[in-house]
Amino acid sequence: MSRRERIRLLVALLATLAILTPMAVMWWHSRLPGSYSITAMGYEDTGGGAPMPTGHQMASVSVADLIADPHRRADVVVDLTARQQSFTLASGRQVRGFTLNGHSPGPQIDVVEGQLVEVRLHNESVRAGITLHWHGVDVPNAEDGVAGVTQNAVRAGASHTYRFVADHAGSFWYHSHQVSHEQVRGGLLGPLVIHPRTPGRELEVTALSHVYAGTATVNGYDGLQQVPARPGERVRVRVINTDNGATQVWAGVPFTVLAVDGRDLGGGAPTRDRIQLAAGGRVDLGLVMPPDAPVAVEIGGAARLVLGAGTPRPVPQPTRKLDLLSYGAPAALPFDPAKAQRNFRYSIGRRPGFVKGRPGLWWSINGHLFPDVPMFVVDEGDVVRMTITNHSGTLHPMHLHGHHAVVLSRNGRLATGSPWWVDSLDVESGETYQIAFVADNPGIWVDHCHNLPHAQQGLLAHLMYDGVSEPFRLGRDSGNDPE
Amino acid sequence: MDAGHPRVQGGGDASPLPKGTEMKAYRFFAYLIAVEVVLQASFIAFGVFGETKWIEDDGGVLNKAVLDADKHPTFTGAIGYGLHFLNGMMLIPLIAVIFLIVAFFAKVPSGAKWAAIVLLLVVVQVAMGLSGIVWLGPLHGINAFILFGTAVMAGKRATAAPASVPAAV
Repeated sequence: MSRRERIRLLVALLATLAILTPMAVMWWHSRLPGSYSITAMGYEDTGGGAPMPTGHQMASVSVADLIADPHRRADVVVDLTARQQSFTLASGRQVRGFTLNGHSPGPQIDVVEGQLVEVRLHNESVRAGITLHWHGVDVPNAEDGVAGVTQNAVRAGASHTYRFVADHAGSFWYHSHQVSHEQVRGGLLGPLVIHPRTPGRELEVTALSHVYAGTATVNGYDGLQQVPARPGERVRVRVINTDNGATQVWAGVPFTVLAVDGRDLGGGAPTRDRIQLAAGGRVDLGLVMPPDAPVAVEIGGAARLVLGAGTPRPVPQPTRKLDLLSYGAPAALPFDPAKAQRNFRYSIGRRPGFVKGRPGLWWSINGHLFPDVPMFVVDEGDVVRMTITNHSGTLHPMHLHGHHAVVLSRNGRLATGSPWWVDSLDVESGETYQIAFVADNPGIWVDHCHNLPHAQQGLLAHLMYDGVSEPFRLGRDSGNDPE
Repeated sequence: MDAGHPRVQGGGDASPLPKGTEMKAYRFFAYLIAVEVVLQASFIAFGVFGETKWIEDDGGVLNKAVLDADKHPTFTGAIGYGLHFLNGMMLIPLIAVIFLIVAFFAKVPSGAKWAAIVLLLVVVQVAMGLSGIVWLGPLHGINAFILFGTAVMAGKRATAAPASVPAAV
């Protein structure tokens, strides 16, 4: 081989190494140990506040000890038995999935604000193990139901008891947070309604929307559910989106948005627009039955709830989308977001790389791929501002556990309506939201995309209170796989 | 074809591979990219045709919930979407990277440069496809033709008489 040939070959080999070496290094670093703590994941992001003290000299409280008052008697006790089985939709269509007490969706849990709820969950036959997460209820950390973060998955044959005070009236839901991208779509979920102490004089109807194996349902009825309502009656429809994507909700008569994500909106005017409901989100619609006709509440155009007797005319989807940023009457916030001790950035992108050893185009958080994601550190009592930016090309419904945040602005435009509190916020590609909340619920709280396959692909970070320790483990050897 | 050319022969003598193997591999991957682009076009057209018929004739409803469900709508042609995504996001980028590596070894005039352009066009194509920006859709379509043309031109360089290779004296 001539000298020139040798140099040529050497250059070719070096160029090849220049391509393959970074790939090999990225692959190596993306592999996860068999068992690890969520607190060992990624890097500390203090958001401009005090860093966490290093070492163990600080008094620390375990996640497992952050519970409701153990001496208080439960006001409501519910037993839920989970099974992995085939079940029948109202139309007779068979689907394979998961049930609670033999049905999917599981039974509606009705409680009154202030009551202590005790739910005894029994896993009869779900092989991968299960948990229950109380979506939107800001429960004590140990009751949050995230496998490997706030508890161990409940294995088949085992039981687990959840206890929490239902401290805020509104529409919520519960679902498994173990292998949730499969178990939620398979139906391991149900509605949870916390009623106000003084009941409203209105007909209350739940409309839990879920797609089973490609079939859109409302409260488990495929296509349509009819609910009796009298002419002139005031109705509150609690729409719950349990799917992975946003859905559009509209009605045949003007409606008022009474609440979003379990928090009341004040002073909203009746509208004929559609409302976009984020995955995991809830919206309470208020409407009055017309004297002579039934009313359809449309969910995504594929499922509908019909109030009253008869068949309503189909209502085409309104082109205008209601903007909650300027809906309702403004009111004072209970804290001053301008005095935030922590300012975090949650920037969602997409880039090639390796996650869990697998190559692909993955979601990134602040430029990094899972598990190299930020751990947002807070102290109890901190006012926290978070800027969520999405430049990933697709919508992400962002869900922070254990807290409700108020929307301050979108794309720099300030919120001018009734304070818009969220636990599940749709952030579209190209959008920037600024939200704020008070760190008032100590623990370790995941903050993830509720398009659950996205979370499983690594779009999951967490909020970490200083002084809280993590006894639970994630990873394939731990038996816990929250997403 | 070019195996008899003295210069190529001279270069291939010490190579562990049979004469012209790198050249053939270069040509193979270049044309493979071109074929893949054609397949991509047919996959997506299959999906769009099937979806339109499903909505118009069968009253199918497609929304985000249905799109994100575990079981996608099962209309004829639905697989076209899946193939377009899988092929476009995984297979073609992989082929383009292999093509570039092969190009480092093959003695194709400006071969590495052309392979790098192909890889760049693939990256741009995937980025536009995932951008979520509707107005990049037409460019995504046009870039497919540019990518196809570039891959074919690259492949042709591997078949042309290597007279333009500076003599390896």
